[in-house]
Amino acid sequence: MSTPPRSGAGSGPLVAAIVIIVTAAIALIALAATGITPQRAWDSFFPLTPVTEQGDRIKELYDIVFYIAVAIFFAVEGAIVWAVFRYRRRPGDDELPPQTHGNNLIEVIWTVIPTVIVAVLFVLSWQTLNQVDTAVAGEQQPQDVRIRANAAQFQWTFDYLDANGETVFTQNVPQGEQGGMVVPVGRSVTVSLRSPDVIHAFYVPQFLFKRDVVPGRENVFEFTVDEPGVYRGQCAELCGTFHAAMVFEVRAIDSAAYDAWLAEQVENASATPPPAPSGGAGEVVEVTAVNIAFTSGELRAPADTPFTIRFVNEDDGVPHNVEVKDAGGASLFQGEIFNGNDQRDYQVPALPAGEYEFLCTVHPNMTGTLIAE
Amino acid sequence: MATTTLHPAAPAYRSRLYEWLTTTDHKKIGILYLINSLLFFFAGGILALVVRVELAVPGLQFMDEAFYNQAFTMHASFMLFLFVIPVLAGFANYVVPLQIGAPDMAFPRINALSFWLLPLGGALMASGFLVEGGAAASGWTEYPPLTDDRFMGTGTDLWIVGLILIGTSSILGGVNFLVTIFKMRAPGMTLFRMPILVWTALVTSVLVIMATPVLTSALIMLFIDRNYGGNFFDPANGGQAILYQNVFWFYSHPAVYIMILIAMGIISEVLPVFSRKPLFGYKAFVYATAGIGALGFSVWAHHMFTTGAVFLPFFSLMTFLIAVPTGVKMFNWIATLWQGKISFTTPLLFAVGFLTMFLIGGINGAFHAAVPVDFALHDTYYVVAHIHYVLFGGSVFGVFAGIYYWFPKMSGRMLNETLGKVQFVLMFIGFNLTFFPMHQLGLSGMPRRIADYASSAGWNELNLAATIGGFLIAASMLPFLWNVLVSLRSGQIAGDDPWEGNTLEWATSSPPPPYNFDHLPEIRSERPLFDLRHGRTHAATTPPGPDRSPQPTH
Amino acid sequence: MATDSHALTTQEHSPVAGLAHDASGGISNPVLGMLLFIVSEVMFFAGLFAAYFNIRANAGPDWPPATLFEGNPLHIFPLVGPATALLVISSFTCQFAIWAIRRNDRTAMNRYIAVTLILGVIFLVMQGIDYALLFEEGVTLGSGTFGTTYFTLTGFHGAHVFGGAIMLAVVLYRGMAGQFSARHHDAVEATSLYWHFVDVVWILLFTVLYILQ
Repeated sequence: MSTPPRSGAGSGPLVAAIVIIVTAAIALIALAATGITPQRAWDSFFPLTPVTEQGDRIKELYDIVFYIAVAIFFAVEGAIVWAVFRYRRRPGDDELPPQTHGNNLIEVIWTVIPTVIVAVLFVLSWQTLNQVDTAVAGEQQPQDVRIRANAAQFQWTFDYLDANGETVFTQNVPQGEQGGMVVPVGRSVTVSLRSPDVIHAFYVPQFLFKRDVVPGRENVFEFTVDEPGVYRGQCAELCGTFHAAMVFEVRAIDSAAYDAWLAEQVENASATPPPAPSGGAGEVVEVTAVNIAFTSGELRAPADTPFTIRFVNEDDGVPHNVEVKDAGGASLFQGEIFNGNDQRDYQVPALPAGEYEFLCTVHPNMTGTLIAE
Repeated sequence: MATTTLHPAAPAYRSRLYEWLTTTDHKKIGILYLINSLLFFFAGGILALVVRVELAVPGLQFMDEAFYNQAFTMHASFMLFLFVIPVLAGFANYVVPLQIGAPDMAFPRINALSFWLLPLGGALMASGFLVEGGAAASGWTEYPPLTDDRFMGTGTDLWIVGLILIGTSSILGGVNFLVTIFKMRAPGMTLFRMPILVWTALVTSVLVIMATPVLTSALIMLFIDRNYGGNFFDPANGGQAILYQNVFWFYSHPAVYIMILIAMGIISEVLPVFSRKPLFGYKAFVYATAGIGALGFSVWAHHMFTTGAVFLPFFSLMTFLIAVPTGVKMFNWIATLWQGKISFTTPLLFAVGFLTMFLIGGINGAFHAAVPVDFALHDTYYVVAHIHYVLFGGSVFGVFAGIYYWFPKMSGRMLNETLGKVQFVLMFIGFNLTFFPMHQLGLSGMPRRIADYASSAGWNELNLAATIGGFLIAASMLPFLWNVLVSLRSGQIAGDDPWEGNTLEWATSSPPPPYNFDHLPEIRSERPLFDLRHGRTHAATTPPGPDRSPQPTH
Repeated sequence: MATDSHALTTQEHSPVAGLAHDASGGISNPVLGMLLFIVSEVMFFAGLFAAYFNIRANAGPDWPPATLFEGNPLHIFPLVGPATALLVISSFTCQFAIWAIRRNDRTAMNRYIAVTLILGVIFLVMQGIDYALLFEEGVTLGSGTFGTTYFTLTGFHGAHVFGGAIMLAVVLYRGMAGQFSARHHDAVEATSLYWHFVDVVWILLFTVLYILQ
């Protein structure tokens, strides 16, 4: 029988120490190079700052779980590292260590302690659950805001509902200054979720909350935003090829401003749309959208004269439009949003010579350059 | 002992290749399992690098979204169904009959069938890349209605059929292991003298035969919906989209334990041998394993907390409870190291890597048991971090511990220790660099399974770090492959028992002869070779205190 | 090193020795293997049944859906009831075969296995006719969740009957070739267990689909 190979006579700890020190040094240098402050590093172990009452409760629960987890981590990891370094076999030591098979007392203790910890965590999380997930369909107060979020491949639309559940206004633009899911600060918002195709998920990281949008099932939840602002949201359940493009924004504004905004939108929606100018004015520029992208990244149009963009949307059931922005990001023209497969002629006002950005309002990652010359 | 020439060599007219392709020897089949699994590990690893390369910086640089979705779907499918589960089954295939003193598995030909279904199923799954529309792209969970034929092409059908074959392989293997363990133990090998690895194989097999057929039923329903106009999961015609998730997770949560228990068994072999102590609390460990198996069937809906369709408190409680037996195991392992005389061999390093990393995977899992916290973290990169700390930090480290530990038995030669340690260090650093930042990405709101992200979202540095880590992991495979190739030809001759092992496989030659044993030592404890080497008198030197060694009292 | 007096010799632990101590446990390897395989089959059908119950519970009292069919397309007579009776009888004849071979009466075993096989085939034929009638009434796999669950459950049961019939045919062939005795008839025992299992699944299916609806 051959002798068991041992780690090199006594050099093992030295090599291990060198490896650890070098790794730690590289890690620190890399962290310093990215300019991360200790405060930012510490914050990265916590969810984003919550902006809803429900999110505050979840954050409190997260903090408790986190500190318990950190304590357990250091205690157990410390025990492993200590055992490994303290009880390493010295070269030439052939004596057997004590052959301990077990110890009833200590085993009972380390079974009971985790049981108690998880029981406490369970009770705490149940209490929090009862505070943050209470919505029941049809039990809303009159002053509550009711919104139906529709998730479809691959965009969000938001129906604003009256007390009877009738849609008074539909927000087709999921983000941007003219769009987004606009909600009032300080009032309870009830969201019902509807999907016509596959499973999506409504997720706003700063709400610390998500809820699946399941076809054939209407999920309801509620939240109250306590900080005005614009909060990024995104579909969190894989819904197909362009899952990553399914983003939206929640725009939380002052309660009075919200009422005014909604009234204005309702009025605009009921007003008859302006008649489309008859006859294509000027030159016709063609652009097509397919697979959530424009087929051409560059358009050329005559400067200083109105022209027509003939926009073909080939994405079945997906809304697109063409919006033109100047170099500073200000919107100069915004075409009507419509579902594919369809087409529209947009009458674009005269643009001075220069480069502009054109994009789809619904999918801001669909962009191209418009050159007026 | 070293002269084992009693067995006639294979007839000369059979080539070695033919012999390997037609073998029913559990040892050869076990090695075939390992080779096949490692090939899919490398394929899945390349797909992981594809994913990481695309995510390194914002914007789509190398592929479109459609291929990206195929890449992560097939990465997970390869890693879970064609690497982790079969590689552990492969270890069990090689080691279990040896450790219980059996000449082979109970049904050697069914054993061969179980293996050959794997490359077949894997090839079917992978062939999706060749058909129009590409491979399956709905994530490894394949939730309908996204998997409906309205949205997904032939690749999904190939994926379903491939996985049914792989599942059938698992079921046949599970039946085979159970009959082997119940019926083929050597005289004296009572249930409570079985090595822990055998216990974990037993519990895994019970999980396999109870859970995997449920997956088969889910897949068949999916296949009928896709191809024969069925309406199981079609809400437009009265079906239930959530039904699939319930059936799928009824399988897939126990499957999480199918993917880890045998790795726990491996390190429960490695830690005692290299700390020269028995496993602390053997019986408690067995009960904890069985407890995990039983609780594993009552927690499936914790993958569905955000669907709004499950009874949250029950599944939350069960999920918290499953932390207890897992914690007991962790303490048992640490107590095994405590006061030991630890040799820093490569298998031990990987086993300690398992302990330190699996601990993180256990702790970050507890966050999800708290339902409201799960509302925040579900389907973000935090979940990706969790699953990799469990399955990579746990299972993969366990697998490499097992490879370094049993390679001498399988090949008769030692692997090079220095290369092994280089691999460990690279892999350990690369692993943490890849997956630790994913916790922070998830906390800052990055959903999983997205091909691209806005550069304003604040995820740039962490994603780049994860990609660099991914390449470090890939680099760590180079010393490993080099080590295997060189050692097979010119490694140090291992001898029967290079590690001073405890269990029966070290009582036979390396590699063992057909039918495994010429002589069996007497089996009076779970460490028959330790008894042989040191005598049972050593029990007398056990310090005072309750001695809970499994005595032959029944 | 393993040369102390307690070690087993090669003869004592050859493959044959391994098989020898298999028998000590009572139940034989193939029968235990079949029992465990049946456990997995039970779980397979449990998955399908769970899907059926879930869909049925969500469908409400309108089942089978009046919108799809005029009246109830499921008729116990003249086909399904008698087919059920035949399958139940076949379980008995299968058990008679087991008792026969335990008495070492291979001729009787062959006769009972043949009867069982014929009953199984008749069951399959009757199920085929029933399917044809349902198709005529317009009930198919695509007929809402009702058609999907009905044909999936009964279809997979039928496939299992077919599998069992093949096993019976193999047993019959081997029995007529003079194999099996009172001591060696694991294949017969295993096949019989499988046949009983298939029968029990049908009784459950019949109860759930036809009686409880």
